[in-house]
Amino acid sequence: MCWVCDAYGDPEYGDGKWWLNPKNHSRHMYTVKKPGQKAAAYGSDPEATAGRNVAEIMKTRFEDTEKFQKLVKEANAMKVKGPFQIGQVIPIQEAFKVVEMSYPVAAMSCICRIHSRAQEERNEHEYSCTGLGVGMFKWERWPERYKGGVHFMTPDEAKEWLVKWNKKGMVHMLMTFGGAYVGGVCNCDYPDCGMIRNRVDYGIETGCIKSHWVAQIDYDKCNGCGICVQRCQFGAIKFEVTTEKTNIDQMKCFGCGLCETACPRNAISLVDRVSLPGLREVW
Amino acid sequence: MAAPNFAVIDIDRTKCTTPFDCKLCLNACPQAVFSVGALKVERGRETNPKEPGAYALGAPHRDKCTGCNICIEVCPVDAIKISFPNAAA
Repeated sequence: MCWVCDAYGDPEYGDGKWWLNPKNHSRHMYTVKKPGQKAAAYGSDPEATAGRNVAEIMKTRFEDTEKFQKLVKEANAMKVKGPFQIGQVIPIQEAFKVVEMSYPVAAMSCICRIHSRAQEERNEHEYSCTGLGVGMFKWERWPERYKGGVHFMTPDEAKEWLVKWNKKGMVHMLMTFGGAYVGGVCNCDYPDCGMIRNRVDYGIETGCIKSHWVAQIDYDKCNGCGICVQRCQFGAIKFEVTTEKTNIDQMKCFGCGLCETACPRNAISLVDRVSLPGLREVW
Repeated sequence: MAAPNFAVIDIDRTKCTTPFDCKLCLNACPQAVFSVGALKVERGRETNPKEPGAYALGAPHRDKCTGCNICIEVCPVDAIKISFPNAAA
């Protein structure tokens, strides 16, 4: 179990996995703004990077490299106790379970892509983020994102939608809004996703925790076609010239399963991270 | 310890007024250095990308800038300047 499950999982539901604990989908977990408090629009500071409370840490890297590294270390040590937004990579099979248990499920525009690449997503064919829970009924409160709202989906539509983004090569990531309130299943890629970027480029872990799985390759089935190589957003897969097969660095693997869904020979499988002693503590 | 050799990206916001509508540098940068933010935020209203000054361009990931100058080439209003003040001589 990862440290989010230790804090927010319930052994009665989904083997203790925090995203399958119904309490983390309850509207009571949804952070309500204090009366009189104005919504701070993410992106109102164009020089700021993504992530609640992470942007302040990120700004120190321009002044003092050592101080920045110290702050990142402290932030990672705080884990669930910290003021940081929790995000975790999940394979599509788990994303299916999440859209089945959460209500409502809606397609919406991705805030990261707006900021990093000015991608305007104006309708349900362009939306790329999945929003979950009561927050979806309040879309008109997100001022800069007022683009005609969100597109509500049934669980089956949501699954089709996740498959569509999986085929395109997007990583599914659980996103929380206040504690472990499951507020979304993002479809992310590097470098546009702020959370993936914070982790891969700067080592800030809380916003993009590795999944409970890790990809493993069966060398007897792999023929080195290389289709999976281009799918990896985390730089964990390469073509190994010596063996003429694909090589997955399991230490770098985030367990998103994008390589698994693309492999035409079913040579890649997802194994439980905890079953591997060397990866048990690598989140 | 020497100051890190990060690029300083100077964006002239009097020239660059509608970055969300233009988005040329945002999409051209190989390192995805740039970011666009809404300065004008009103409740219940979409910020207009074509309104001058409603959105502003920033370079929060300028520590990843290589100095390839592609953004300067694509900028139609000549608003971007890149320097490396801490580069070793």
